Amino acid sequence: MLKQKFIRTVLFLTSVFAFSNIFGQISPEIQLGARGVMSVNLNVSSGETTSAVNDFSDSGILFGFRQKLYNNFRGRFVIGMQFPDANSDLGQIFFHQTFIQLDDRTNIIKLGRSRVASSLIEFPTLRDDDAIYFTDVLNPFSSGANTEDNQYGNVLEYTHIFAQRYRLQIHGEHFTETPKPPETVETDFNLNALGLSFMYRVPASQLWERPVIQQIGIGINNFLTDRPNNTNELDQMLTNVSFSTILNVLRDPVYFLDVRGQVIYNKGFDETTSITDNYSMTRTASVSAFASVRYLLRKMERPTLQISVSAGYKDFTNVANSTNQLQLIFNTFYRLGANFDIGFQIQYSKNEGDLKTLLGSNETRFQVALVYSIEQLWNSQFDDRESLLNLEHGYIP
Amino acid sequence: MKRRDFVKVTSTVAAASFLPSSFLSAAVIKNNQKKFPKVLKPKMNNGVKEFELYVEIVEQEVVPGFKFHTLAFNGHIPGPELRVNKGDQVRVKFKNKTELNHTIHWHGIYVPWRMDGVPYVTQMPVMPGQEFVYEFTAEPYGTHFYHCHWGTLLHMQSGMYGSFIIEDPDDPIKKSFPYEREYTLAYSAHDSNFIRNELNAMLERMKERMFLVKNGRFDKERFATFNTKDELVQAVNNGYLPPYVVNRRSLDELPRPNWFTVNGKSYPMTPNIYIKEGENIRVRLINAGTEEHYLHLHGHDFWQVCNDGIPIKNPEQMNTLRLSPGKTLDIIIEGNNRGIWTFHDHDTRRVTNNGLYPGGNLLALVYEDMPAEEAELNMMAKKMGLPSLPIVALDE
Repeated sequence: MLKQKFIRTVLFLTSVFAFSNIFGQISPEIQLGARGVMSVNLNVSSGETTSAVNDFSDSGILFGFRQKLYNNFRGRFVIGMQFPDANSDLGQIFFHQTFIQLDDRTNIIKLGRSRVASSLIEFPTLRDDDAIYFTDVLNPFSSGANTEDNQYGNVLEYTHIFAQRYRLQIHGEHFTETPKPPETVETDFNLNALGLSFMYRVPASQLWERPVIQQIGIGINNFLTDRPNNTNELDQMLTNVSFSTILNVLRDPVYFLDVRGQVIYNKGFDETTSITDNYSMTRTASVSAFASVRYLLRKMERPTLQISVSAGYKDFTNVANSTNQLQLIFNTFYRLGANFDIGFQIQYSKNEGDLKTLLGSNETRFQVALVYSIEQLWNSQFDDRESLLNLEHGYIP
Repeated sequence: MKRRDFVKVTSTVAAASFLPSSFLSAAVIKNNQKKFPKVLKPKMNNGVKEFELYVEIVEQEVVPGFKFHTLAFNGHIPGPELRVNKGDQVRVKFKNKTELNHTIHWHGIYVPWRMDGVPYVTQMPVMPGQEFVYEFTAEPYGTHFYHCHWGTLLHMQSGMYGSFIIEDPDDPIKKSFPYEREYTLAYSAHDSNFIRNELNAMLERMKERMFLVKNGRFDKERFATFNTKDELVQAVNNGYLPPYVVNRRSLDELPRPNWFTVNGKSYPMTPNIYIKEGENIRVRLINAGTEEHYLHLHGHDFWQVCNDGIPIKNPEQMNTLRLSPGKTLDIIIEGNNRGIWTFHDHDTRRVTNNGLYPGGNLLALVYEDMPAEEAELNMMAKKMGLPSLPIVALDE
């Protein structure tokens, strides 16, 4: 009797609905994504040379589970972990993605930890934080020790898709606050940022039908800060506005060339006129621009060689002594086998004004890397929203 | 008609007129007729029977609540039935309304070799937007079919097949087994996940390829197309990686069919075969899929009268037959045991819908003149709201 009670208790604890597994179940789609990035780095920073024999930061793994729901919706659960940067305080493994998503043909709801809406597009760099001072709206709650603070957070997003190519997104986030405030003040589940974006984006499967514009979008991010001496919530709001575009220059299946760019305007707080730490750097007014030109050779219907050149400039308009940042990145990747690349990247960054003290005056980094990235799907059951069949021949849920 | 046959038929008709009303309504019978391939009427053009076929992508609902994208001749799966007489001159204008390549192969028909529809062997593929005209003399007599021969593994199970019947006014089967009604049943097996993934991959690839072709940049290695086997060997020796090595398909497994259809539908939407007491019917069986079917008829033996369209000199009587991929078999069923009788694959893995029994290629031989009371159920069933047979049951 006692044993039966125990079993019943365990059943209720392990399943929302008791008896949910009595009958045969519809197995979910199972997705595996993995990316291993191993690089040898040589840094020359303000005249000093350092090296890393093996930098495997940003390597990670993602598991996804997806299922058809009733009434044409789909449910997805994703959990993923990655190795953070060596100098971060996130520990050995960082769970960067743990979210649940519900979506149908025109609506997407996402809840959990994931990539925050701090950037409208991705740039062709070896690691996704290589140009983060230019490519992302920066987290004003972070000490700056971890770049992941700018990229991942607890999110609540709703996206509506119009006419297959237009996306309106409303998003709220809890950006990581470092050092972590006392538990009584806040928890990870409060929103400390709200935003909105509107984007036109051509699905990748229809790229060959679009002569010039791949993507164009605008976004606004508002951080709900504790701005001193201001009690009005609107005055405490730190606003960033982003504009981005990706244009096809040479739309060719073999010799492909595109350019992409993003401008971020940080309205800043008027009283922040000097930069002494990451908080002041992210809360003072600035304008940053970042652009890349990418050439992609696809010899046999698969990528063979990619070469890209990127440049970024950021000006802190409210800081007195000509404070600005410059970054140049050149990289090339050559495919050794399916999903397996060797790459070389050189990046140069230069800081002026107050940033010299915070980030150093300049840095040149050389990296040689091996990158292996896979995406595997088991138990395939239904189509993607942006497949050609669903886009051009009627949507089947 | 022989005197003996005349007496048999007229006495059956007379007997039927005294029977209580049939349990089948006119609407049910009419709806069932739609489940057989529609015969495409030809245009006569200087003595040539001219047909127009096109292919497009459609959403096929195999059972209520489950659809997948497929290819279809003239919007239907199977495609329309082409019926001609032996010796007719036939012209088929085939228009490709998709962004994929296609051909039509005339399975079992003595066409001139340049009309055989095998890409790169007898003709170039019919590219997106193109038209190709097939011309031949209709022979030999019998049940045949047509299907796409480009990307055959994908395109056939995606719905590109249809029956092609060559009739003989002096039909040898009718002489042995007088019949008036006949039915065509085209069997197929579909891996809906393979079809979806592969069609998407092919559509994406073809967008690129057509871009290059239109710009005069056909490349043998990129298109995996070589003049000779020696040329391929030479290319591999020079470092070319053929598609079967680098796996350019969307999936890395062979298809595992999860839907089994008759005339494009799975049970319970499969067609039924109607018969009357004393009647002979001819059933033309076509296997346009990749799986073998072991078709078994309950309560009857039937006569196998044709094999690949060819009349069998000494027809065999049986109740189960093997219908292999690419095969056509004709059978005669004699209406001698009134009732509702299932006709199904005895490899019961193919009597499933996405793994659940019953489904697939399950259908019934139904005596349409059966009195309604014979199908009535008992009081208990009526209390359950189930007054008469047959009942649609999806989960046994």
